[in-house]
Amino acid sequence: MVKEYIHIILADDDEDDRLFFTDAFDELKINTKVNTFNDGVELMNYLNQPEAILPNVLFLDLNMPRKNGIECLDEIKKNDRFNDIAIAIFSTSSSEEHIEETFVRGANIYIKKPSDFATLKKVLSDVVTINWQYYTSGLNKDNFLLRL
Amino acid sequence: MKLNAFYKSPIFLKSVFVVSIFAIFFISAVTFKHINLLNKSATWVNHSYDVNLELERLFSYLKDSETGQRGFLITKDSTFLEPYIQAKEKIDRSFSIVKNYTKNDPAQENNLRKLQLYINKRQNYLSLTLHLSLKKGLNDKELKEKLLVGKYTMDSVRSQINTMILLEKETLKSRELSYNDTIKVTPIFIYITLLITLVLISVSYIRINRDLEKLQVSNNRLTVLNESSNLAEIVGNFGSWQLNIDTDQYTFSDNIYRLLGCEPQSFKNGQDDFLKYVHAEDRTYFEGINSKRLEKENLPSFTYRIIRKDKQLRYFRTTGRIVTNRSGQNILIGTTSDVTDEVLASLSLEQQNIELEASNKELVAFNYVASHDLQEPLRKIQTFISRLSDKEYDSLSDSGKEYITRIHSSVDRMRILIDDLLQYSRANKTEKVFEKVSLDTLLENAKFDLAQSIEEKGAMIQSEALPKMTVIPFQIQQLFINLIGNSLKYSKEKVTPKIKISCKKVTALEEDLIPKNTKDKFYKITFEDNGIGFEQEYAEKIFILFNRLHNKNEYAGTGIGLAICKKIVENHKGYIFAEGKPNEGSKFTIYLSEDC
Repeated sequence: MVKEYIHIILADDDEDDRLFFTDAFDELKINTKVNTFNDGVELMNYLNQPEAILPNVLFLDLNMPRKNGIECLDEIKKNDRFNDIAIAIFSTSSSEEHIEETFVRGANIYIKKPSDFATLKKVLSDVVTINWQYYTSGLNKDNFLLRL
Repeated sequence: MKLNAFYKSPIFLKSVFVVSIFAIFFISAVTFKHINLLNKSATWVNHSYDVNLELERLFSYLKDSETGQRGFLITKDSTFLEPYIQAKEKIDRSFSIVKNYTKNDPAQENNLRKLQLYINKRQNYLSLTLHLSLKKGLNDKELKEKLLVGKYTMDSVRSQINTMILLEKETLKSRELSYNDTIKVTPIFIYITLLITLVLISVSYIRINRDLEKLQVSNNRLTVLNESSNLAEIVGNFGSWQLNIDTDQYTFSDNIYRLLGCEPQSFKNGQDDFLKYVHAEDRTYFEGINSKRLEKENLPSFTYRIIRKDKQLRYFRTTGRIVTNRSGQNILIGTTSDVTDEVLASLSLEQQNIELEASNKELVAFNYVASHDLQEPLRKIQTFISRLSDKEYDSLSDSGKEYITRIHSSVDRMRILIDDLLQYSRANKTEKVFEKVSLDTLLENAKFDLAQSIEEKGAMIQSEALPKMTVIPFQIQQLFINLIGNSLKYSKEKVTPKIKISCKKVTALEEDLIPKNTKDKFYKITFEDNGIGFEQEYAEKIFILFNRLHNKNEYAGTGIGLAICKKIVENHKGYIFAEGKPNEGSKFTIYLSEDC
């Protein structure tokens, strides 16, 4: 019997954040496979490979060198192959402009990076266990930002 | 009324002048005629006397010839015949004179013809008697008969002459009568005419005098006006000029020269000489504006640079307007003012604006730094600390545990500070998007935002219905969050916090707190709590940035929250006031303009 994994990808240029992210999933008792990429270019190179395993949830940092989160978001939304990927924006900023812009461009949820490891674990656990089909159908601007 | 108008009209003087000229002509004509008449009548008197004298003379000649004849008849002395013969000649001469005199008088001519007949008859008898007596000597009877006939003839002559003299006298009399009539009426006529003329001339003299006085008064007024306009030009730093469109002639006021740093009227009035003072770079522009102006079109206001006589750079502004005067001439009246101060002020204002814009941009950049770059390391410190206290806590010494706790609270405080600062600068942001929203919704959002601490404190929030208003939604929401949060934070221990929110529509006049001259209608929203309150003397101080009434160990806070409230209310052109009573509670009152 093949074990069912939830595929998760994080694109973030910050080493510490990637560490927190993987540590959090290590401690969570969820069957996940976590892949991390250092920037948008690396992420898109991976996704554009035909044999690539597409993630269930993609966590996108906004401020990245070479190709930022918004550009990645646009590219992903243009390609029908990526239709099933749930996109979570994962950023330090919680400015209205960023929230508005990513919502309009089709992201599924906006997460402000928590400043506490326990909270981080809770957020990540919540996000990966969301029933995305159900969640996305009732998506609006008010529940776009994940409130804790 | 009509007469009065005529008296005042300029036609009056002309009419008086014409009437007077006619009167003078009339008087001189009458006088001339009168003198002529006088002359003529004198001639006629002379003439009548001449006629009568000659008739008398004629008669006396006749008598002479008769006397001579009688003398001869008596004495037969031929010496007596001499006067007779002489008299005959004289009679003829005298008769022809009389005939000449009476040439134009038919009645006298008629009489004269009769007289001639009688004279001839008389002479014939004389010569006949003489002849008879010379030839055959007349007897006494015959002589007597002849003499008698002669006497009768002589009587006829005498009576005829008398008739003629009488007629002449009568004619003279009738002429004198008609002359007298004329002479009697004429002076009265002349006097009346003269009198009327005199009256008319006097009236027009009064009128001219009055006009002259009026002219003097308006002349004086004009002088004063001129002087005051000169003064106004000096004080107001402007000069005036005129351009006669038809003759292309310029007239400059004295102050134009003073503005250029020249002596008044020191150069020719005209564009060419003025142009010498216009900044070389602005000359084409200056000439372009002036030449582009079409006939009968006003000159638009335009600004250019001037290099004064003393080489000072000044800014001038010129404008002009077409005016048609009473003589139908088109005149462009213009003013030129020295606007250097104004231009320099606006230039420096522009500069300040640019600087302000730049500093605003810097502020926005700082916002980003604060929101993102500063938060990131802080967040990591927090996360690492949370990792440390989760995983390594047990292996730390007691003092290590204490340090961890202290670091934790310091970092927390720093986070709050950064968040609050961020909010404050967001409240300052220049872009303000106003939307019509229900304040109730915003209040609900605010309560939702504070749900955790409301729950913790078990607070009761009571609110009246709030209106729909045009506001910056996230700012008003922030205002509500800060005010409710403030009440929650400064609530009394062991007492259920109660917050009462009420709303009322008021006018500026009813409220003592807000200026009376502001817009009429406001929504007055009050937040009243039963917290620890504050001394009324701090009511204004609490809105100042970083101002705190309590030690941070007693109540956490940054002193930014209420400053943000004030900023937000000011962004909406409203007012915020605080009232407090220690240990009883505080009350915040917001006035938001209804049509904000």
